[in-house]
Amino acid sequence: MFKLVGETHFDFLGKRKIGYLVSAALTLLGLVAAVQLWRGEGNLAIEFTGGTMLQGSFAQPVSIGDLRTILSDGGFPEAEIKALQARETPNSFMIRVKEDVGGQAQAAQKLVDLVKARLPDNAFHVDSMHEVGPSVGETLRSQAGRAAMIALVCILIYIWFRFDFRFGVASTVATVHDVLVVLGILFLFSREISLLVVSGLLTLAGFSLTDKVVVFDRVRENLKQFRRRSDFGQTVNNSMNEVLSRTIVTGITTQLAVIILMIFGGEVLFDFSLTIFLGFIVGTYSSWFVASPLVVDWEAKRPSRFK
Amino acid sequence: MRRTPIWLVLLTLLLIALSFYALYPSVKLYSMTGEEQRSLAETDPAELVALEKRAIKLGLDLRGGMHVVLEVDKSKLNDKERVDAVDRALEVIRNRVDEFGVAEPLIQKSGDDRIIVELPGVEDPERARELIGRTAQLEFRLMPEPTDQEAVIRAIDRAVALALPAEMAALAEGSPTSSPATADSIARELFADTSDASVTKDTTEVAQADTAAAAGDSALAVQPFSLLLRSSGGYGFAIEESDVPTVRRYLALPEVVAAIPRGAVVAWGTRESSEGGATYEQLYILNERAELTGQYLTDASPSVDNEMGGYQVNFVLTREGGNRFNRITRANIGKPLVIVLDNRVESAATIQSAIREQGRITLGGGASFEEAKDLSIVLRAGALPAPVIIAENNIVGPSLGRDSIQKGAYSSVIGFILVVLFMAVYYRFSGVVANVGLAFNLLFLMAGMALLDATLTMPGIAGIMLTMGMSVDSNVLIFERVREELRTGKTVRAAIDTGYVRALLTIIDSHVTTLITAAVLFIFGTGPIKGFAVTLFLGILISLFTALFIAKAIFDFRKHSGSLSI
Repeated sequence: MFKLVGETHFDFLGKRKIGYLVSAALTLLGLVAAVQLWRGEGNLAIEFTGGTMLQGSFAQPVSIGDLRTILSDGGFPEAEIKALQARETPNSFMIRVKEDVGGQAQAAQKLVDLVKARLPDNAFHVDSMHEVGPSVGETLRSQAGRAAMIALVCILIYIWFRFDFRFGVASTVATVHDVLVVLGILFLFSREISLLVVSGLLTLAGFSLTDKVVVFDRVRENLKQFRRRSDFGQTVNNSMNEVLSRTIVTGITTQLAVIILMIFGGEVLFDFSLTIFLGFIVGTYSSWFVASPLVVDWEAKRPSRFK
Repeated sequence: MRRTPIWLVLLTLLLIALSFYALYPSVKLYSMTGEEQRSLAETDPAELVALEKRAIKLGLDLRGGMHVVLEVDKSKLNDKERVDAVDRALEVIRNRVDEFGVAEPLIQKSGDDRIIVELPGVEDPERARELIGRTAQLEFRLMPEPTDQEAVIRAIDRAVALALPAEMAALAEGSPTSSPATADSIARELFADTSDASVTKDTTEVAQADTAAAAGDSALAVQPFSLLLRSSGGYGFAIEESDVPTVRRYLALPEVVAAIPRGAVVAWGTRESSEGGATYEQLYILNERAELTGQYLTDASPSVDNEMGGYQVNFVLTREGGNRFNRITRANIGKPLVIVLDNRVESAATIQSAIREQGRITLGGGASFEEAKDLSIVLRAGALPAPVIIAENNIVGPSLGRDSIQKGAYSSVIGFILVVLFMAVYYRFSGVVANVGLAFNLLFLMAGMALLDATLTMPGIAGIMLTMGMSVDSNVLIFERVREELRTGKTVRAAIDTGYVRALLTIIDSHVTTLITAAVLFIFGTGPIKGFAVTLFLGILISLFTALFIAKAIFDFRKHSGSLSI
C-alpha cells in the first residue's frame, strides 16, 4: 500500500477566518472583472466584441516589430500581434483587430493584402481567418451569459433537491465564488476571455460542486453515525480529513491531464486549460475554507436539528 | 453482494464487440494516407463515402473548412415577405451549396434571422464565400437617352461644386493651362460614340477629355465630376483607378444623392478594363426601373463565347418572362440593354432583335470560366429574397487543422500514460483495475462518438482528457473507501462490498453536477464547444458504467483471494 496522505487531522475550520478574508478579497476582484467584462472592457475575444482574427505564416522569419510597423502604417495601429508555435507552419503569427466587419468591410482581406504588399518577397500563407460582426458578438455575449445562468440554476435545483437547504446554499455560494475568483485571476493577467473560456468556467463550476458533494456526502454520513457523540464542527472537520486523500489523488490525476493540455495543447486550448487548472485549485480551496466553514458558522448561529 | 451476474459479463462483451464494430471505419479511414484515400476515391468511391459516413467526424477546427453565419436583412421587406424570408434564403443557399459540390455541408437556421453554413474542407474559401453571400438580384434595365444622361452628369457636377467649394478652388488653380471647356462640351464629347454603339464592345478607347478650367459662370467654373470621366467606347464611362476613390466620395455626398434626377441611377460595372498600362473601372447611368427581374429565369448555363472569345451565360426565361422580354426588346431595338446583378452592371449590349425566352449574358474578356459558372449557379439557384450580410466568417486552413490534430494526439497520449502510471504506482493492483476501466472508458467513448454521429473538435479532445481524470475519480472514491474499511479491520470481501455501496451515492451525485454542465453546454454551444460538451457528457456517463460494473466485476473475481493491494 502506497500512500501520499495517511490519516490526517488538519484543523481546516480553525483557519476559516483567514479563508473568509482571502475569499472576500478575491471575490471582490472577480466581481470587478465580471462588471468590467460585461461593460465590454478588458480582454474579450472577438467572438464577443466583433472583430477580425487572422492567423498566417511567412516563408521566412519576420520580426513582430516589423509587422507592427506595417500594420500601423496601413491603418491598423491597434492591431495585436502574437507569434505562435506551430509544427507544420513555422513563422506563424496571430493578428487581431477589433474592427467591426460590418458585412462587407472585410478587414481580414485588407490585412492580408497589406502584409502581402509590404513584404512581397516573403510569401504569406493564411492558415485561418475569423471575422465576427458586431451583431453576432452581441448575441454570443448574451447567449453565454444565459447559458451560464441556466447551468448554475440547474445545478442548484439538483443540489437543493439532494441536500439539506444549508448545504445547498453553502455549495452554491462557494461555487459562484470559484467562478468569480478564476474570472478575476484571468482578468488580472488579461488572459483573453473567449467562448471556450466561458465553457471552461462552467466546467469548473461542475467540478467544484463535485468536490463539495463529496465532502458533504461524508459529513451527512458521519452526522447520522455520530449524531450525539460529537459536535458539529468537529464532524465536518473530520469528514474533510477523511476525504482528503481522495481529493488529492483525483486532483493529481485530473491536473496531470490539464497540465499536459496546457503544455502540448497549443494556442486554442491554453486559456481553457488554464481556467480548469485554476478552477481545480480554487474549487478544492473553497470546499475547505468557504463551503464547509459556512455550514459550521450557520449551525453555530442558528442550531438546526442536527445538534 | 453476490457474484457478478452472467448478464453483466455478456453485456460487457457485447459492448466491446459493438465498440470494435463501430470504430472499424474510423480506424480504417484515418489510418489511410492521403494517397490511399485518393486511389480509393477512384477505384471505389461508394466505399469511401460509406467509410466517411460511419467514421467519427472531425470538426472544422481539425479538418479545415469554413463556418459562415449569414444574417438576412429583412428591413426592406413587407410583413408578408418577412414571414418566410429566412426559409426561402435557406433554400436558395442550400441549392447554391449543393451545386458548389462540397461533401457534407451543414446549412441550418439559427434564431430569427440567421443562417449557419458549414463547409468542411473547402479549398477556395473566397469563392465559396462570394457564392453564398451573393444577393443575386438579377435585373434587366434600360439606359436613359444620351441627353438625359448628360443632364445627370451636369447635375452631379453642380452638386459637387456647390458642396465642396474649397476643393473646387484648388482644382481650378491646379489646372490653369488646359484649354477651356464647358461642362456641355465635355459631356458632348463623352457621348460622341455612344449613340452608334454596336454589340461587340470590348476594347476601351480612351479619349482624353480636356481638363476643364476657368471658363463659365462662377460656381460652375469647374466640372469636378466630368473631369474624371473618360469615354469608354462602351455604354458607360471609364474612370482611371486612381480616380475611383474620388468618384466614390463624390457620389456618396448627400448633396449629390439629392441632385440625381428621378428615374436615373449611377451604377458601377463588375469588371475593370485596362488600356495602355492604366486600369479603369466602369461607371454607368441607368434607369432606376427594372424591366424584368430574375424571378422569371428558369435556367442558366455557362458556355464559351465563340464570336468574341471569353465566356457567356445562356439563360432561359419562363413563358411569362419571355412575353414581357419580347415586348421590351421589340420596343427598344438599337438601344442598350443592361444586365444588373446586385446593383452592379454585369454586362451591357445593344438590342439587336426581339428576344423571347432565350438570351445570353456576355461576360467580356476578363472573365474566367469559374466566374461564368458561378454566375449561372447563382442565377439558376435563384435570387435571395432579401440581401444577406456575412455576420461571422471563420475559416480554418487544412495545415492548421493538421497541426491541431497532432497537438491533440500528443496531449492525449502523454496524458493517458501519465495517469495510467500514477494509478498503477499508487494503487498497485487496484490501480491496474482502474486503468483497465479507463481503457474501456476511452474505447466506449470513441465508439459512442461514432455511433451517435458526433463530431470531434479540439475542445472535444480536451473533454476526453478531462474524462480521463474524472473516470479515475470514481475509482479513487471507491478505493479510498475500501482502504478505510480495511483499516477498520474488515475482511477484503466485506471491505470491497461496503466500499462500493458507500461510495456509490457519492459517485452518482458528483457525476450528475458535471453532466448538467455538459448538457447546458451542448444545448447552447455551437461547433467546437458542442464537441467539448459531447465528449464530456459521454465520457462521464461511460465512466459511471465502467467504474460501477467493469471494475467491480474484476474486484469480485479477485476478492476470494483474501489479500488485496489497494
